[in-house]
Amino acid sequence: MSKLNIQEGSPLQAHLPAGHVSEKWDNYKAGIKVVNPANKRKYTVLVIGTGLAGASAAASLAEMGYNVKAFCISDSPRRAHSIAAQGGINAAKNYQNDGDSIWRLFYDTVKGGDFRARESNVYRLAQVSVSIIDQCVAQGVPFAREYGGMLSNRSFGGAQVSRTFYAAGQTGQQLLLGAYGAMMRQVDAGKVQLFTYREMLDLVVVDGVAQGVVMRNLKTGELESYAGDAVLLCTGGYGNVYFLSTNAMNSNATAAWRCHKRGAYFANPCFTQIHPTCIPVSGDYQSKLTLMSESLRNDGRVWVPKKAGDKRPPEQIPEDERDYYLERRYPSFGNLVPRDVASRNAKAVCDEGRGVGESGLAVYLDFAESIQRLGLKTVEDRYNNLFEMYERITGENPYKVPMRIYPAVHYTMGGLWVDYNLMTTIPGLFALGEANFSDHGANRLGASALMQGLADGYFVVPYTIGDYLAGKAPVKAEAAKGEAFTQVRGEIQGQIDKLLSIKGTRTVMELYRELGLKMWDYVGMSRTEEGLKKVLQEIPKLREEFWNNVRIPGDADGWNKNLEFASRVADFLELGELMALDALYREESCGGHFREEYQTEEGEAQRNDEAYSYAAAWEYTGNFAQPVLHKEPLEFENVKPSQRSYK
Amino acid sequence: MSDNMRMKLKIWRQKGPNSPGAFRDYELDNVSSHMSFLEMLDVLNEKLIKEGKEDPVEYDYDCREGICGTCGVVVDGVAHGPVRRTATCQLHMRTFRDGDTITIEPWRSEAFPVIKDLVVDRSAFDRIIQAGGYVGVNTGCAQDANSIPIGKEEADKSFFAAACIGCGACVAACPNASASLFVAAKISQYAHLPQGKPEATRRALRMIEQMDAEGFGNCSNHAECEAVCPKGISIDNIAVMRREYLKAALKTGSATI
Amino acid sequence: MQNAEKQTAKPNVIDAILSIFDSTVGRKYIMGLSGLALVGFIVFHLAGNLSLFFGAEAFNSYVLKLESLGPLIRLAELGLMAVFVFHIIFAFSVTAQNKAARKTRYAVKGNAGKPSRKTIASQSMIYTGLVLLIFIVAHVWMFRFATRFNPEHVTIHGAEVINLYTPVVAAFKNPWIALAYSAVMLLLGMHVSHGFWSAFQSLGAYHPRYTPVIYTAGVLLALLLAVGFIALPGWVYFMVPVK
Repeated sequence: MSKLNIQEGSPLQAHLPAGHVSEKWDNYKAGIKVVNPANKRKYTVLVIGTGLAGASAAASLAEMGYNVKAFCISDSPRRAHSIAAQGGINAAKNYQNDGDSIWRLFYDTVKGGDFRARESNVYRLAQVSVSIIDQCVAQGVPFAREYGGMLSNRSFGGAQVSRTFYAAGQTGQQLLLGAYGAMMRQVDAGKVQLFTYREMLDLVVVDGVAQGVVMRNLKTGELESYAGDAVLLCTGGYGNVYFLSTNAMNSNATAAWRCHKRGAYFANPCFTQIHPTCIPVSGDYQSKLTLMSESLRNDGRVWVPKKAGDKRPPEQIPEDERDYYLERRYPSFGNLVPRDVASRNAKAVCDEGRGVGESGLAVYLDFAESIQRLGLKTVEDRYNNLFEMYERITGENPYKVPMRIYPAVHYTMGGLWVDYNLMTTIPGLFALGEANFSDHGANRLGASALMQGLADGYFVVPYTIGDYLAGKAPVKAEAAKGEAFTQVRGEIQGQIDKLLSIKGTRTVMELYRELGLKMWDYVGMSRTEEGLKKVLQEIPKLREEFWNNVRIPGDADGWNKNLEFASRVADFLELGELMALDALYREESCGGHFREEYQTEEGEAQRNDEAYSYAAAWEYTGNFAQPVLHKEPLEFENVKPSQRSYK
Repeated sequence: MSDNMRMKLKIWRQKGPNSPGAFRDYELDNVSSHMSFLEMLDVLNEKLIKEGKEDPVEYDYDCREGICGTCGVVVDGVAHGPVRRTATCQLHMRTFRDGDTITIEPWRSEAFPVIKDLVVDRSAFDRIIQAGGYVGVNTGCAQDANSIPIGKEEADKSFFAAACIGCGACVAACPNASASLFVAAKISQYAHLPQGKPEATRRALRMIEQMDAEGFGNCSNHAECEAVCPKGISIDNIAVMRREYLKAALKTGSATI
Repeated sequence: MQNAEKQTAKPNVIDAILSIFDSTVGRKYIMGLSGLALVGFIVFHLAGNLSLFFGAEAFNSYVLKLESLGPLIRLAELGLMAVFVFHIIFAFSVTAQNKAARKTRYAVKGNAGKPSRKTIASQSMIYTGLVLLIFIVAHVWMFRFATRFNPEHVTIHGAEVINLYTPVVAAFKNPWIALAYSAVMLLLGMHVSHGFWSAFQSLGAYHPRYTPVIYTAGVLLALLLAVGFIALPGWVYFMVPVK
């Protein structure tokens, strides 16, 4: 196989604290510099994005005394896509007395991430998970409870213990509203200044240090500059590069990508998570995909007909002609295998021509047996809101007809590379939550995204930022009037003017769909060298087509959704190429990255720990085809890498 | 099921907050019954952009799965359209029939100024939350989560109130453009929890003072808000809010704190 | 922060208390309380007036009973008037505020259906209220004041009392008055059908079990009041022989 010609730069230093993994965080906290309480108010922190990570960070930093400016792309922070997380949040509380511990959560997360996560970060995550639940309950987050008044837990996403806290199917919503409330309290106290309808379009770096941002006011169209001592990027993941995903329509990679172009390395862009239980695509007008909580797999049985091309309706297919393929292949985990495994298997049976529904791109998730075993009432209690949602969208009643599900892009494990402090390769620029790459390796476990977002915001960055700010000369707000800001604003204005001047024949959405389809086909659930090479040829062409032939209606003087999308799509067209490149360069399969060339005889992901046990952080060089690769070697001192087995 | 419905649309167009608005008529062919309402509007916009004669229609949206609360238009006089407990993004075209005329208007309330076409500014809601829609607890000072037992019934009541997505349909549907259901949902969430007690007085007075300052109307108990609420939040919460307010007002002898 | 809050001048006690009733929630307490008081009055009023069915003597002894209360009845009248005035003033201010909250009206008005309780009655409270106000002015003028200009007296159980039976019968014998009176009583029923339940809700009196009962009771009460009051002119017009 011809190895790509990639230039390698210096390896990365993650600034890990000394000591055993279980002592690192304590050692770190004991050793960091702290900012004097009287001095905190002299520092301004710019928090970009106000989802779980952003809102929790903004609130915590303001409580500590820092001045915070928080920016939100929507009309309100409560819209952030964290709100859509259904299932729950993990924490090593061991309230169920089933043998859970910080160690076990750490172990499960490293293993679930297919040994591509940084051990020390994961351990810290498991440690603070406990405090997150305490914090959220104190805030009045109405978690599900038992009759006796204690918190209720469920097992989730293939975990062998019940460590998931939840609020019906709306856990993300409740946690976000808690963090949002905490932040609004600081807005009221005058410590957080909230800017809504703002989209970050660039980072301003002065003397190699992040010094501020350029924002577009989506309501007025104006470009605005803000200066600060640190910039916290809490802007989520880049799943929308696929156009169709479970991400909200406005979720985008622009802020992160533009930071990348200013010098922040982008790590593991090819690590994307495909969620197995989504409602299938119904037509080419489809704008987004809807996830059905993974908890459905606790009681639903996944099957397809044994015979390819069997188009009989499900009730006419007798039991012995059904293939419950997950139960068959993974007797001990059955329908509860991790997301990547479940997704890949669904794709495999559909590729064999055994998919169901009109498109043949779906498998059944059947509750008939559960309804018989548990009674209708119990199934209703557990899943009624999800069943209703399914019926609302498909017009079919899942109590009577099995659900049709298919995998869809859901989460991106890759993101801006950060060290142990959550700082990117640009000093002063931090990345939190899904925007960074660190904690989930090549595959995220269910109910861990909420945990990580809040861990970073409430309990990690409030410490690590102090270490950075202590001793730094505070930046004044007037710095935003400086030359560096004017220049960046000019560049952004130029880009907007250029976009509007093209006046071509193809709409933004058309080109966006085209990119999304290519990404799904070649950089989606399974990848091949051939496909990746092909798409690496096609993306630059599509990018050229975009810059020559896009048609954007209206002007830049106010609300213009097409213009907003155009600049996001422009960035996706660049990021997509890096994802494909990363996927091509990583000649192994791990977690969400499945290269067909690298699989075991049974069709499972085949890692190559000798060659690829590293995080791949890419440096932008000005040439999308020739980024420089910086490796952060991953060392597993506590959890020995093994072939994941869910049999 | 039909894949080529023809829809007649009557859509409110308004260039900016201070421009006058008016309805414009559109016709759209090949509408599939599987489309969501917003996807139908997407298709209309693609057509408008291609034709190049007028700007596409602006409407707000984000998650398109009924939880973020960003979307929302009044469809034939009903906020979020004719299907109960359904946000506009989850409304599907199978609800309509070939040849139907659909009138689409923005949320209408002085407290929600129109930004453009069907997009309104709901920051009034943020300011109400800012006035007290939280429990004042700093990060790091919480006790163990299970040290505050809360009975399942109360926890559930709190959750049902907390399920509010802040879409503003309650205001849009209320004949008086009252925000009572929104405010009540938040006050009631905390009224059912021990964590909410220490700040109950302050919360009730300040949130209601802010609600009034934003220019929302009075609640006349029409309950139309509950009927359009995508989360089905009950007006029982409004009664809870009024009790909380009464308690607070009696305690302080004033509407302000 | 806390010190700064303390330093801001507090309004005087009366202003502070009044501020409660300036809020949207506080105003509804007034509307609810005064509304319930008025419902109480109307029920009492109807109960008394039913004596009309039993002829002149029965009716006039009811009048006598009230009059014999002396200053107490005058006080009750003043109190009643105060409640009316509150109800009316707050109704106007609430309505004005509601209109101001939505200046651009919807082109299409719909109804979302259950569990909405938005009805013609609930949406026309100010209009039915206005009609009732005009009615009350006329009604009070007609029976409370005009009858006293040139009173005819009768003697019941040895006491002399103003004869109200004759003017009431005379009025209800006029088909236009009887018809108008009946129409207004229908509107009264409408007003109460929303108002009764609404008053409880406005006062925060909610209970999962009792609230539905109150709602139904309100509708029944409204029906009863309308039927009861309409029966009066009906009885007089059709059943009382012309003298």
